[in-house]
Amino acid sequence: MSNPLGIPQHGAKRITRGAARQAVCVLMALAASLAALLTSPVAHAGAAIVTITSVRAAQAANDQFLGEQAPVLVTLPDDWSGSRPRFDGLVRYRAAFDRPPGTEPNELLALYVERVCSNLEVFLNGQRIYSGGRMTEPVTRNCHYPQLVTLPSGLLQEQGNTLDLLVRGHALNRVATRQQAGGLSELRIGPQALLAEQQAVRRFWSVSAVQIVAIAIGVLGVVMIVLGWMSRQAAYFSYFGWLSLAWALMSLRVWWHDMPWDNGVIEFLFCTAFAPIVALAVQFLLSYADLRSRWIENALALQWVLLPVTLLLGGPARLFGIANAWYVVLAIETFATMVLYLWVSWRHRRRDFWWMLGILGGACVLVIVEIAVQYDVSGQPQLLQLPLLPLGVPLLLLGIAARLLQVFARALQAAEASRNTLEARVREATAEIEHNFAQLSEMRVEQVTEKERKRIAADLHDDLGAKLLTIVHTSESERISTLAREALEEMRLSVRGLTGKPMRLADALADWRAETVLRLGQANIEADWRGPTEETEQLLPARSFVQTTRILREAVSNIIKHSGASHCKVRCAISDRQFGLTVQDNGKGIPMELDGKLDRGHGMASMKHRAKQMQGQCLMESGPGYGTVIRLTLPL
Amino acid sequence: MNNILLLEDLPEIRTWLKVLINQVFPQSQIYEAARVHDALELVSAVKFNLALCDLGLPDGSGVDVVAALREHQPECQSVVVTIHDDDDHLFPALQAGAFGYLLKEQARELIAEQLKRMSQGEPPLSPSIARRVISHFAAQTRPQERPQNIPHVSLTDRENEVLLRVAKGFTLPEIGVQLNLSRHTIADYVKQIYRKLNVSSRAEAALEAQRLGLFRR
Repeated sequence: MSNPLGIPQHGAKRITRGAARQAVCVLMALAASLAALLTSPVAHAGAAIVTITSVRAAQAANDQFLGEQAPVLVTLPDDWSGSRPRFDGLVRYRAAFDRPPGTEPNELLALYVERVCSNLEVFLNGQRIYSGGRMTEPVTRNCHYPQLVTLPSGLLQEQGNTLDLLVRGHALNRVATRQQAGGLSELRIGPQALLAEQQAVRRFWSVSAVQIVAIAIGVLGVVMIVLGWMSRQAAYFSYFGWLSLAWALMSLRVWWHDMPWDNGVIEFLFCTAFAPIVALAVQFLLSYADLRSRWIENALALQWVLLPVTLLLGGPARLFGIANAWYVVLAIETFATMVLYLWVSWRHRRRDFWWMLGILGGACVLVIVEIAVQYDVSGQPQLLQLPLLPLGVPLLLLGIAARLLQVFARALQAAEASRNTLEARVREATAEIEHNFAQLSEMRVEQVTEKERKRIAADLHDDLGAKLLTIVHTSESERISTLAREALEEMRLSVRGLTGKPMRLADALADWRAETVLRLGQANIEADWRGPTEETEQLLPARSFVQTTRILREAVSNIIKHSGASHCKVRCAISDRQFGLTVQDNGKGIPMELDGKLDRGHGMASMKHRAKQMQGQCLMESGPGYGTVIRLTLPL
Repeated sequence: MNNILLLEDLPEIRTWLKVLINQVFPQSQIYEAARVHDALELVSAVKFNLALCDLGLPDGSGVDVVAALREHQPECQSVVVTIHDDDDHLFPALQAGAFGYLLKEQARELIAEQLKRMSQGEPPLSPSIARRVISHFAAQTRPQERPQNIPHVSLTDRENEVLLRVAKGFTLPEIGVQLNLSRHTIADYVKQIYRKLNVSSRAEAALEAQRLGLFRR
């Protein structure tokens, strides 16, 4: 098992299995080299450090060095699962050493034990010089703590020193993970300063770093729980928060030496904790993929019960085997969920697909390597000292958290943006309502005004109109009846100006033409009216229409009454800015007054006045024998 | 002209009009009324050949009398005699079936002339009235949308041509020259336009009533 290259490969299936194994081994080799790098960055750098790999060892019933069995020679590192399987208790190791060459005579020396599990006591030349803690249940758990023991100079001889280590350990089958099984690494003796440095580095990576990331994801977990509590619809925040918090709590066991329970209880609790953690991880991924399945939830809950029950039924002696079977099951569940999540994510073209693929891929690698370590595929004990899961998982969780916070921030931004849009819409709607209201009140005012105008117009027609009409038709004098008729016409025009809407210029021209041609025809004067041929859409205010009608009517009246003309030319011209009307007859013209102005009796002054009211101009040219030309120009 | 209805509330004007009618139609019998109510009673009792109706009367509008005449005495010619020259007042009367209009303040000779012409079948048509007629027919409910029992009236091309030219300000004699038509033919077109306006307006009104009934159901 340790060397996949030695396995004969038969057929394609074997090749894939072999390839998979190779891949695992490559990963493990990478991890091992990493471990080596971390454990001894300056190992063997100084010649002053003596490494002891060969010791005599014997199982001890009590703190007497020699028990029933004779001490045998063992090579360090001594992994109990290999050298004394199923042994659970005390082992004494004895080594002889001389003062390392190259050290100063009065230099302070120390013993450095990189890994001892679970605890140890140290004797130098028969004298107890160090204790790592309690040696009986509940045993102090120093598996992750590198031990540094200062060797008192007074006890130290130049040659032939005897070093005794009493190690309390647990059998592999009674612990939940291989990291907690009994064992002793090689011993190093050398200058205290050098070894302290090594211990500090080692201790940082095994304990402090784990503590830091645990605190980090613990805090992160709380934050996520709060976020999940605030945004109920995004349940994955809560799942992730609890997952982080649970993991932070589980990493307690890495650095908490003196737990108040004995080994069986602690290992049982630790193993049991994986069920909820995997359940949370599965639920997180499902809810992040917007999936929900009642039966998966039930199965996870059932598993939470089933796992401790099987452990209890199997008893403490089968803990490791059952636990590892469960690890495989849990790992498969996790992988399946990851694949499901990634599939959904890919199908929905989620933007974080590659990010999550990287993180989940990393998690897969971690879990595979960790399970391989548990099954001791490589047989390299250094791997036990590598804090793979305690450091790796929190880092991956931090990666996911970064993405989640980004999602949250985006959602926040989107909410802000939509709120802004909403506000803008509300503003628009308000503005529109105000505008409509203003328009409505304006319309109402117009309606009231219009109604009033109509009333006035009706009154004028009924009262004044009727009276003028009576005068028109009952007066004996032709002059008075003509005056009354003109007054009536004036009144009607005024009323029209009062109530009228703007008129299309083309329609106004049509009305003028019809009236003028009709009147001239009745007076036997030849009319020649020419206007623009193309239709125009320009509008003429009601007042302008009325005033122009009056001017034109006056001009035609003058021609009929005074000019004696036989022919009348009317020309209309419309441009963008103005409108021109020219009326020309071939009559005898209008006589000049003494002051050089044209005869007022012909209503010239009132025509000019009306034109001026419309910001227009009314010009007259006349001379005896030349007829009269009236030019009216109005702005449009 | 045997029986003529004269509906006018102002006594002086009524007297004056009576004199005028007697001049134009010396052999006629004139029935006078000062109110819509009286006029409607006369309509139900006497058969008229011509009716001169004022619009603004103390108890209503002369349009009602025009409509009643159109309903019960379709042979009678209704002419609106009014002080209002604007088409807002004239158009409803024309829709109700009036055959023409006279403006009260015009000189006696002119009114006499116009009355004679109308009685001979030459009604007047001003540009603004022509425009109203055009837009009325343009806004008519399309044939495919109306029920079977309500007729659809449309103008002929010639009638449209005459209307369009009037709307542009050409007088009827001018149009006769332009289209190379006799005075009588042009007059016939105009009469036809008035008739169709009346029929179409009544059809639209019926349609409207039916629609309202439909909503009420």
